[in-house]
Amino acid sequence: MKASARLVVGLDPHGNSVVRVLRSQSPLTLVPARRVGPVALVHLVSSVTSPLGGDSLELTVEVGPGASLDLRGVAATLMLPGPTGLPSSSVLRFSVEGSVRYVPEPTVVTSRAHHTAVVEAELDGHAELLLREVLVLGRVGESAGTLSTSVRATRCGKPLLHQQLVVGSPSIDSSAAGLAGKRVVGTSLMLDAVPRASDGGEWWNVVPLAAGGTLATALGDDVVTVTRVLDAI
Amino acid sequence: MLTALILADSRFPGGGHVHSGGLEEAAARGLVTDEPSLKSFLHGRLLTTGLLAAGFAAAAARGEDLELLDAELDARTPSPAQREASRAQGRGMLRAARRAWPSERLAALSRDPHQPLVIGVLVGDPYEAALTCAYLAVSGPASAAVRLLGLDPFGVNAIVAALPVEDVASRAVKELPALGSPALDLLAEAHVRREGVRLFGS
Repeated sequence: MKASARLVVGLDPHGNSVVRVLRSQSPLTLVPARRVGPVALVHLVSSVTSPLGGDSLELTVEVGPGASLDLRGVAATLMLPGPTGLPSSSVLRFSVEGSVRYVPEPTVVTSRAHHTAVVEAELDGHAELLLREVLVLGRVGESAGTLSTSVRATRCGKPLLHQQLVVGSPSIDSSAAGLAGKRVVGTSLMLDAVPRASDGGEWWNVVPLAAGGTLATALGDDVVTVTRVLDAI
Repeated sequence: MLTALILADSRFPGGGHVHSGGLEEAAARGLVTDEPSLKSFLHGRLLTTGLLAAGFAAAAARGEDLELLDAELDARTPSPAQREASRAQGRGMLRAARRAWPSERLAALSRDPHQPLVIGVLVGDPYEAALTCAYLAVSGPASAAVRLLGLDPFGVNAIVAALPVEDVASRAVKELPALGSPALDLLAEAHVRREGVRLFGS
């Protein structure tokens, strides 16, 4: 299945963030909340089981100056293999002049899934982006398939963060220099002007990025532990 | 080739011996205790941080813009402790290199360069630069393991010799990687926060 969806949010003359373009294509179904206010709330609903092997999904999100978008998932995403054995892919592009918060539910990389997920975000001078990602290596008692995630965020073309993570290689997943045998990895990228002090515990930390912004990372054995750490920041 | 050999030699006065690449913290937590766990640590380090550093050494050797590479490597190194460790080793290498191999391109490096960029500029050949960088990504932690855990030097040497360092160097010349290692980032930051005696700077 190939699908491409687009969401554009802008600011109206009354200071409300409004959805100007909403183009869904199954399984990428965008559901705006019926409310008027400074922040537009849109749910991203997977309307068909996806991603399956062979799927290619693309979502583009644009947020204009002064506008604010809260983009949420509604359920955990299960990455599954398809009948053909082909890999699946997803690309999520943000173009932000206002502010975006994207906090999807966890993504579970099931056994034999083979997926590539790319997130690209370009911010202008004062734009803000909060991006959370929680990956789970396999369902209970299951080893993970292969997943490559890549996040690249730039501000006015200059790189703020570029991280690729490959899971599903047992020798690296189990290494103390890889994922240390933890089943859940969570990150929260905060690109804004809020100063946050470095902090951390045994398997989590909050660090300032070199060119501005903050990254929180947590490793754990279950989703509850990891999301609790990210929620507390 | 001689430059690469000198840079990879543990007797090169670049100050690399004070860095354990996260091994000291991993050993302190009991994550690395013996040869099998060291092998797993070095393998993971080589295929994440090692590949990343080797890719940047190759790019610097190809003559790519050093200022852009510096910013791109910063963006790929979210942990401030890892950035500082890379720049500290870059500074140490640069200090020795100014006397040994002065050049215009070496002078074009910042005063505080990431180590892979210094290696790339000095070695000149992308594959050799990547190989040097990939090797250094594991040789330092390996010798730290001998000192910290009292492991058998012959056993540790055999582990290093069997690591796919050449494969990683071959991959590194083809792409500018962005691979991260969440656990290494966490270990590096925890090492900085750790109170008490630390033998290594990272």
